[in-house]
Amino acid sequence: MILIGENLNVMSQTLGPALRERNAGPIEEMAKNETEAGIDLVDLNIGPARKGGDELMAWVVNTIQAVTDKMLSLDTTNLDAMEAGLKVRQGPVLINSVSLQTSRIDRGLELAQKYNADLIGLLWSNEGMPRDVNERAMHTVDFIYKANEAGIPNERIWIDPIASPVSVEINQVKACVEFMTMLGEIAPGCKSTVGLSNISNGAPTELRPWLNRTYMIMLARYGLYSAIVDAFDKDLMKIARGERPDIVELVYKMMDGEKPDISSLPKEMANYAKTTRVLMGESLYSHSWLEV
Amino acid sequence: MAFEIPKTAYSGKIREMALGKGDKAVTVGGETAYPFYLFEGEMPNLPKIAMEVYDMPPEEWPEAAMEPFTGVTDDPVAWAQKCIKDYGAEMICLQLLSTDPNGLDRPADEAAQVVKKVADAIDVPLIVWGTANHDKDTDVLRAVAEIVQDKSLILGPLEEGDYKKIGAAAIGYKHTVVASTPIDINLAKQLNILLGNLGVPDNLLAIDPTVSCIGYGIEYCYSVMERMRMAALTQQDDKLQFPIICNIAKEAWKTKEAKISEAEDPKMGDAKKRGILLEAMSAIVLLLAGGDVLIMRHPEAIKLVREMIADLTAK
Repeated sequence: MILIGENLNVMSQTLGPALRERNAGPIEEMAKNETEAGIDLVDLNIGPARKGGDELMAWVVNTIQAVTDKMLSLDTTNLDAMEAGLKVRQGPVLINSVSLQTSRIDRGLELAQKYNADLIGLLWSNEGMPRDVNERAMHTVDFIYKANEAGIPNERIWIDPIASPVSVEINQVKACVEFMTMLGEIAPGCKSTVGLSNISNGAPTELRPWLNRTYMIMLARYGLYSAIVDAFDKDLMKIARGERPDIVELVYKMMDGEKPDISSLPKEMANYAKTTRVLMGESLYSHSWLEV
Repeated sequence: MAFEIPKTAYSGKIREMALGKGDKAVTVGGETAYPFYLFEGEMPNLPKIAMEVYDMPPEEWPEAAMEPFTGVTDDPVAWAQKCIKDYGAEMICLQLLSTDPNGLDRPADEAAQVVKKVADAIDVPLIVWGTANHDKDTDVLRAVAEIVQDKSLILGPLEEGDYKKIGAAAIGYKHTVVASTPIDINLAKQLNILLGNLGVPDNLLAIDPTVSCIGYGIEYCYSVMERMRMAALTQQDDKLQFPIICNIAKEAWKTKEAKISEAEDPKMGDAKKRGILLEAMSAIVLLLAGGDVLIMRHPEAIKLVREMIADLTAK
């Protein structure tokens, strides 16, 4: 599992001001900490950055590439800012992201081609979020077709099927898992990624990691290539690095229909079992899902 | 090969719950299949209708809604008795509108005395409904729970912001509580869990999913209630296996469509018929989604709904 650290983010209460004030210290520190935590890519999320986004992205890329040798993921919806970042980047780079919207896809693909970048293909179309697994498949075909036409091979495309919160619509949670079983056939060689923390949006903060980790295991089972994650969730890191086969095995078994006696499991395993039940749609989510 | 009608695999059951006390107590819940799916399971207790009574004369009600209650709207006791005697109400819901802090702001003790008078004057189960103001409902419903302690009332709404104190009082005096959440199945389940943790017994808990009228988002209510029943009946979700109470009357009669007179907008047609049908049809939609108790207003709307229940359950 390739891990993209989500923590260098304009929404952060310390990094937001640092970005605006071009205060390199905290930004560098975050990139170093993420690198030390063991992530594979550092995501640079500067937000929509409507005003002066190009200058900001160029500054952040230069600041970060001086302190980490990790691949960088440039995260903004401002395509001018994206281009400014790509221009100064020396080394491998990922465009996060290019959506299917008519107003965005052509320019996004052009940038990926021009700067030899990988790109996240976000399955967000003119109609917004895909409603089910079929729309995800359809949008993937569209995206790959357009990207190939622009000269970008499947191997440089990371499809993001868009994870949505478990408390919003469980069918969307299941649709992403089902989509992963299909992606390899729809687009051989194509990579994938997902904004993992979306799954737990709205859940109590201290409980969110259970949902994030379990969902990662479920998606990884069907080939998820990478995930955008909290770089400092040590347990998630261990699972992703293959150090917790016991948890992975439990989740897989439950996905295959086994129903372990949850009350007899140790607390940690019971929590993963309960979370798997919720994410599979067998038990309805509530904020106290680990207690019932 | 003969065609076989597919059948839903049910694994759960809605809890049966007694409301009120004595000869006129009613039982709701107990379903083992989706609403009115009598070809798949049982509905041992038909849905019940509680008639609304207000603790102050209503303002801004359309004429059609006032007319059946002429002469009693300034006396909740007489109003409740009229509902039972003239319109055959099997339950009463006393809406404590006068306690609204943005309105008359009647003190809790006074309001509780009114509830006591009504409770003493009737023998059918009594739902007592606050104004959904957390601080005020806490004061009012706790006072009601204590002052009317031996009547097995049904108290609501209990929300995340006030469930603890009201819930504790209800537990102490063995009243039923109604857990109310804003059209969200996950939050509904969560509040039921919290009330269970507080100590509310399973047989004294009902759900108010928050409902609205046709034309005002009833689809969302339908969908949430439907999903509650799916979780309760097919996924053995014991935190959702509770009867559902729908407070629909005030939603229907406050709409422009129920209020506007024919003179103001002739193409809207007869105002009385319109209001009655809006209330009745909204109520039927909620019944089909899983409502066990409907809080309703107009006797003719109630008659229509009763007929529909009889038709849907005819052998």
